[in-house]
Amino acid sequence: MAGALLKNDLNGTLNMDALTRAAMGINSPALTAVSLLLDNDVFFAVLILAIILLAERRNDKRLKIISAIALAFIAGFALKDIYAIQRPCSGLGCPAGYSFPSLHAVTAFTLMVAFLDKREYPLFLVFALFVAFTRLHLGFHTFEDIAGALPVAILSYHIVDSRWKYG
Amino acid sequence: MDREEKRQAVHFIVCMAALAVLLLSSRDWLLGITFSVLIVGTLLINLTMRKNRIHLVEWFVGEFEREGVRFPGWGSACLATGVLILAAYMMQPAGIAAGLVVLGIGDGLSTLVGRRGSHILPWNRKKTAEGTLAFFAGSLVAWVFVGPLSVPLAALAALGESLDLGVDDNLVIPVVCTIVLSVL
Repeated sequence: MAGALLKNDLNGTLNMDALTRAAMGINSPALTAVSLLLDNDVFFAVLILAIILLAERRNDKRLKIISAIALAFIAGFALKDIYAIQRPCSGLGCPAGYSFPSLHAVTAFTLMVAFLDKREYPLFLVFALFVAFTRLHLGFHTFEDIAGALPVAILSYHIVDSRWKYG
Repeated sequence: MDREEKRQAVHFIVCMAALAVLLLSSRDWLLGITFSVLIVGTLLINLTMRKNRIHLVEWFVGEFEREGVRFPGWGSACLATGVLILAAYMMQPAGIAAGLVVLGIGDGLSTLVGRRGSHILPWNRKKTAEGTLAFFAGSLVAWVFVGPLSVPLAALAALGESLDLGVDDNLVIPVVCTIVLSVL
């Protein structure tokens, strides 16, 4: 499925970066299956919540992470409408809504940033990069959408964290 | 040079290096490099926070980091995030270049001049009028890339930098630049 829905294939007009093209070019049914599973919004939300509950024992910090993710999600959603950049895919199977920035990546990066001081941080980093990679693999986003998600995550967590401590 | 001056020199060099990448290659390369630097940087920050000794990071933090920051590498992380905001959220290279000038020259001059200033801003006791004026003057170099738009850009970025928002300047300035250049 990955790459099959590309506008690029349909009209050849889309200018896509090399990394995005490489990720979409990987022919692995297992990777595509996992990517599609992570694409499911309900599954992804439950997975993120489960990770927060399992990885963080303090309720206060859990609430802070969820607040940061909520802020990042709202900001990302607003930015999608402001920039109104079309997805690189089209047709059946292509998610509705605009492309930039990737909300899956925004969520995963915010989770990653929240655990910056923890021993398990490399795992969160790998998880976030993998989620971002699956978005490229499915052809639902370009690298620009992923890169744009990282500052939203950092800024959102920074804002919530500063208010949490000093507010 | 004291630590703050060295810090501003590095700040300037990083922004000019980013500008060079943008002008000599492309926005995609700037996005890719900044994103990678930030990802690797957070890993180094994590390792340092976990009490691992990384000599390069220790030297860098010892030479350039401000006292009392949230974690080692805070300033560098904020600067890299600021550059990524400019690269990702401004679609035109001229806008990104102007933002890098404001971040590299305006902000750097503001700190160097501001700490020697004596006229405290009424709305922010930590900043001086001299620093804000230096920010404005330094940011006007952005004229090279965006022409007359550099005047409102410099004025609004200077205003944004002068406010005490509780968010690092290296994050506030790129956001202000992006909004100003997108709206105007």
